Amino acid sequence: MSEHLRVIMIGAHPDDCELKAGATAALWAAGGAEVLLMSCTCGDAGHHEIGGGPLARRRREEAKRSAEILGVESLILENHDGELFPTLDFRRDVIRAIRNWKADIVFCHRPNDYHPDHRYSSQVVQDAAYLVLVPNICPDTLALEKNPVFMYFPDHFSKPCQFIPDVIVDATSVMEKKIQSLDTMDSQMYEWLPWIDRQLESVPKDKGERIEFLKSFWNEHFHSSAEEFPALLEERYGAERAAKVRYAEAFELCEYGSQPSREQLWEMFPC
Amino acid sequence: MTSGGKNKPLNVIIIGAHPDDGEYYSGGTAALWAEAGAKVRIVAVTNGDAGHQSQGGGVLARRRAAESMRSAGILGVSWQSLDIHDGEVLPSLKARNAVIRAIRTWEADIVITHRTNDYHPDHRYTGQIVQDAAYLVMVPAICPDTPRLEYNPVFMYLQDDFKKPEPFRADVVVDVTPAMEKKWLSMDAMESQMYEWIPWLEKKLEDVPSSPKERLEWLKGFLGGEFRGWVKGLEEIITERYGADYVSKVKFAEAFELCEYGRQVSRGELWEMFPR
Repeated sequence: MSEHLRVIMIGAHPDDCELKAGATAALWAAGGAEVLLMSCTCGDAGHHEIGGGPLARRRREEAKRSAEILGVESLILENHDGELFPTLDFRRDVIRAIRNWKADIVFCHRPNDYHPDHRYSSQVVQDAAYLVLVPNICPDTLALEKNPVFMYFPDHFSKPCQFIPDVIVDATSVMEKKIQSLDTMDSQMYEWLPWIDRQLESVPKDKGERIEFLKSFWNEHFHSSAEEFPALLEERYGAERAAKVRYAEAFELCEYGSQPSREQLWEMFPC
Repeated sequence: MTSGGKNKPLNVIIIGAHPDDGEYYSGGTAALWAEAGAKVRIVAVTNGDAGHQSQGGGVLARRRAAESMRSAGILGVSWQSLDIHDGEVLPSLKARNAVIRAIRTWEADIVITHRTNDYHPDHRYTGQIVQDAAYLVMVPAICPDTPRLEYNPVFMYLQDDFKKPEPFRADVVVDVTPAMEKKWLSMDAMESQMYEWIPWLEKKLEDVPSSPKERLEWLKGFLGGEFRGWVKGLEEIITERYGADYVSKVKFAEAFELCEYGRQVSRGELWEMFPR
């Protein structure tokens, strides 16, 4: 893994990057890479009891605490939650963010994930993939000289095509850190997501018990990549270590942006 | 035919782009559902104010609304337009919010719309807008003026022939042969479409008879081939749902594909929800 690698992960909401790739972000950070987790919306609608400015401020604080635990930076764009569209203004913000971070690798959702904000943020990042190189686009912000590698977070949708991983990262050693980072996002993990899933009553009051709830709530998600892609794990880590992997995070290479070989790609990712 | 254990009639909302789309692609199923006690609403996202060779604007929109109401009466369903100009549907926040409110107000258990690769841009964007509403109908802070749905509806696609990026795949099929007379009459009520605009566009305006009775027979000839053609390629799923003996008896069928957004149901559960 390159020590001076610069990584930007672009999710739709505060908690998306953390959920999909928090462990990989932490491993990269521990290895000396510079990692920025960006949310395209301020998360001001995803709650049953609070909303607007107060919710956005709370989400911003949570993302900041979460980033500190992972050893990464946090950036939140002030777009309203649930209202992302592939506009030029939004695209320019994304181009500037990628350029300002001087990114070597950019992550985003796939354009067929479940939430329209996920789909449109993905489309906008894809749209930025070539334009980050074009100096006359956003001339206020220095164009990148080298096209970054663009990667997708995983999801389970299959139309028009399903997620096919190109790289997998053993997350077992940093899973506690990932869980701690999610535990700080209490408006999401202990309020909104259990509520929309009709499990609010199962959330314990006690902080120690709460984190156990979080682990069981996300159990399937946390285990999914390791369970679904054992062959890729074995290829990257060898049979002996692969057998010990309990948690993994997988990513797919986007066709836009720089196209590294599998070997080059794996070299960039933490092992 | 009730909605998953809630012990109330099934609420179905069919969201087409234009006045006649819901009727054309799913009128038979809508009529069978209505006969079985389901509450069905057909929505036209546009008011249909552009699709005509010699009329247009508000006058045409009013005519289309009157035709759609008559057609809905024949099918036993209700009707609503979201009043967007014909040919101008775009995936805007305004259009999305109108769709979210329509789905919520109907307390829909099933939402049916176009695929996002159908032939007309209004169809494609209607499909996209409905897909975008699929999660958000549950989120109370979105359109807080209209109570959110507590249960995510099942979202389905109407049939089309387009192959890229992927073809339509039927998850459920309905034998609409018994409802065909109602469907023909519901289309017959939409005269500005069936006897003016569509024949004109196909350069067949001169073939349309003037007497109402002959006109209906002409319409059956004009569209019957296409409607009967929908059965082709559905033999396997018709056999599965109706049995092998039945295939030859199904003259007209309407098929639907499950959308990945919204509630995901097993094939058994899905078939339970649809009229048979």
